Amino acid sequence: MDNYNLGFKGKTDQYQYIAPRGLSRNIVQEISKRKDEPAWMLDIRLAALEQFEKMPIPTWGADLSKIKWEEIHYYLKSVDRPYKTWDQVPDTVRRVFDEIGVPAAEREYLAGVGGQYDSEVIYHSLKTTLAKKGVIFLSMDEGLKQYPEIVKAHFGKVVPYGDNKLAALNTAVWSGGSFVYIPKGVKVDLPLQAYFRINAENAGQFERTLIVAEEGSSVHYVEGCSAPAYSSASLHAAVVEVVVEPSALVRYTTVQNWYKNVYNLVTKRAMVSTDARMEWVDCNLGSCVTMKYPSCILAGPRAHGEMLSIAVAGSGQQLDAGAKMIHLAPNTTSRIVSKSISQNGGRSSYRGQVKITPAAVGSRSKVICDALIMDEQSRSDTYPNNQVMTGDATLEHEAFVSRVGAEQLMYLMGRGLSDAEAQTMIIRGFLEPIVSELPLEYAVELNRLVKMQMEGSVG
Amino acid sequence: MKKILKRYDQPGKWEIVIPFDEQGMEQEWTGIVDARRPGEYNLTVIAEHSVAKTRGRVTVRAVCGEDSIVSLNGIIRIAKEAQETDDFLELRVLTLGPKSRATVEPELEIEANNVRASHAASVGRIDSEQLFYLQSRGLSKNDAQKQIIEGWLGV
Repeated sequence: MDNYNLGFKGKTDQYQYIAPRGLSRNIVQEISKRKDEPAWMLDIRLAALEQFEKMPIPTWGADLSKIKWEEIHYYLKSVDRPYKTWDQVPDTVRRVFDEIGVPAAEREYLAGVGGQYDSEVIYHSLKTTLAKKGVIFLSMDEGLKQYPEIVKAHFGKVVPYGDNKLAALNTAVWSGGSFVYIPKGVKVDLPLQAYFRINAENAGQFERTLIVAEEGSSVHYVEGCSAPAYSSASLHAAVVEVVVEPSALVRYTTVQNWYKNVYNLVTKRAMVSTDARMEWVDCNLGSCVTMKYPSCILAGPRAHGEMLSIAVAGSGQQLDAGAKMIHLAPNTTSRIVSKSISQNGGRSSYRGQVKITPAAVGSRSKVICDALIMDEQSRSDTYPNNQVMTGDATLEHEAFVSRVGAEQLMYLMGRGLSDAEAQTMIIRGFLEPIVSELPLEYAVELNRLVKMQMEGSVG
Repeated sequence: MKKILKRYDQPGKWEIVIPFDEQGMEQEWTGIVDARRPGEYNLTVIAEHSVAKTRGRVTVRAVCGEDSIVSLNGIIRIAKEAQETDDFLELRVLTLGPKSRATVEPELEIEANNVRASHAASVGRIDSEQLFYLQSRGLSKNDAQKQIIEGWLGV
């Protein structure tokens, strides 16, 4: 990426442990042993490994045949434990997070922060006022140690390891990620943030996140990611499970900015109960290949699922993103708004599914996908699947693909803007409905990232 | 614009390819799927744009009866060479009973940049207000429904 400013590398020679390349039963056992896990977790890991080996590489989406599975380090431990203050974090690691700006952001506007460096979470904090209310925000490993019964009750229930090959891989070698638990009726006003950094070359990052929002609670979880500029590929295969109990609200925002050597293959799913609401806000700018279809299973009456996504695909990138809304109960509603931009030979696709099952009478769903194609080398596809299995439901879908309108450009240039300024303004307007949903600091950041990505193509 | 109208009122499976292979070609294609007779109706329409400056309008309107399954698949495919294509694809299904099932898959595969391509799809019931209006004019519920369906299918 020409304009990637997070490509700096941190040293790896002082790592506590780096697993040998490739995947085996031994490595899975080694990870579990080093984490001192209960036996049931090791059993799940081994079963998932078997499943992973059995399943074929999916061929229906982006090209995954170039992933060198045997070259990847599946587990890399940089420091011996997560720290509670940034002063304790070893210099080499802290400098990387300083550069990204995580500690500065935490001081200003976050309720809690987690930082993950390759396989392990290196830092975790939560405002004491929230901790007193019973909010839990820990790394997944700590969560498993301190609250094994909650983890056991939910782990792998929303995304079972047999779901897909990458979910099986994640379950076998997962490490890090966040464990969030919001007790009944507690509203967390400021966002909780997790920042994921891949640092080593040929690294695999397999974070596992579980969010449980009890009845009537609300939380906004934000994740960011980046990686150094290496030429060989890294693999990021996360699994995110969200349990939204009755009348709760969870919003999950992602700003994905991996370097262009990362395969980003993520399974995200939420189980949404009666009167509850789940919102995914998903911004994809980086990675070489992204395949990500956050889903909502609308399991209780009047549950609502929402997906707002942005994809900006540049040279050498294929962003295959979308959403799934499965309506299982009466009067459930969902909305998907997807905006994508393809430029400099990039390829972006929307791939989504809306399924309204026979029981979901009176349900409504609306899908909007808009795409801009900036030049002749780029490509944009839309593959929606909309199934309505009851006569008593409404579904709408619309999509529009075009280039930046010549008339719009002419108009703005007639008002004294340069070609580049006019294009930037139009693109901003195109993304506005989603950017305006982000917390202010992220909106500013995203606008800056999009502008950087578009430099060159926008003149 | 050249117009083609096709009607399907028996269960079956059809794949229609509409080639846009002559520069300047314009075509309007409309498919009517009357799936009131129980069964499976499966229609695929592909608008294949291979040369520059073509214009298309593809519309499928269907009614899906109580014991019917309707699957509509529409694809607008625009090749690299097919600059200045303008196409719009519309898939509409009206469901009549609680057991009606409909799948709509409007797809776009676009490799050229200077184009306008869009699609819209919907699945929904008969508007209860329209039904009420006609009934208030003295039509029985059945007749009112029939009128609305006929208007919808444009026959």
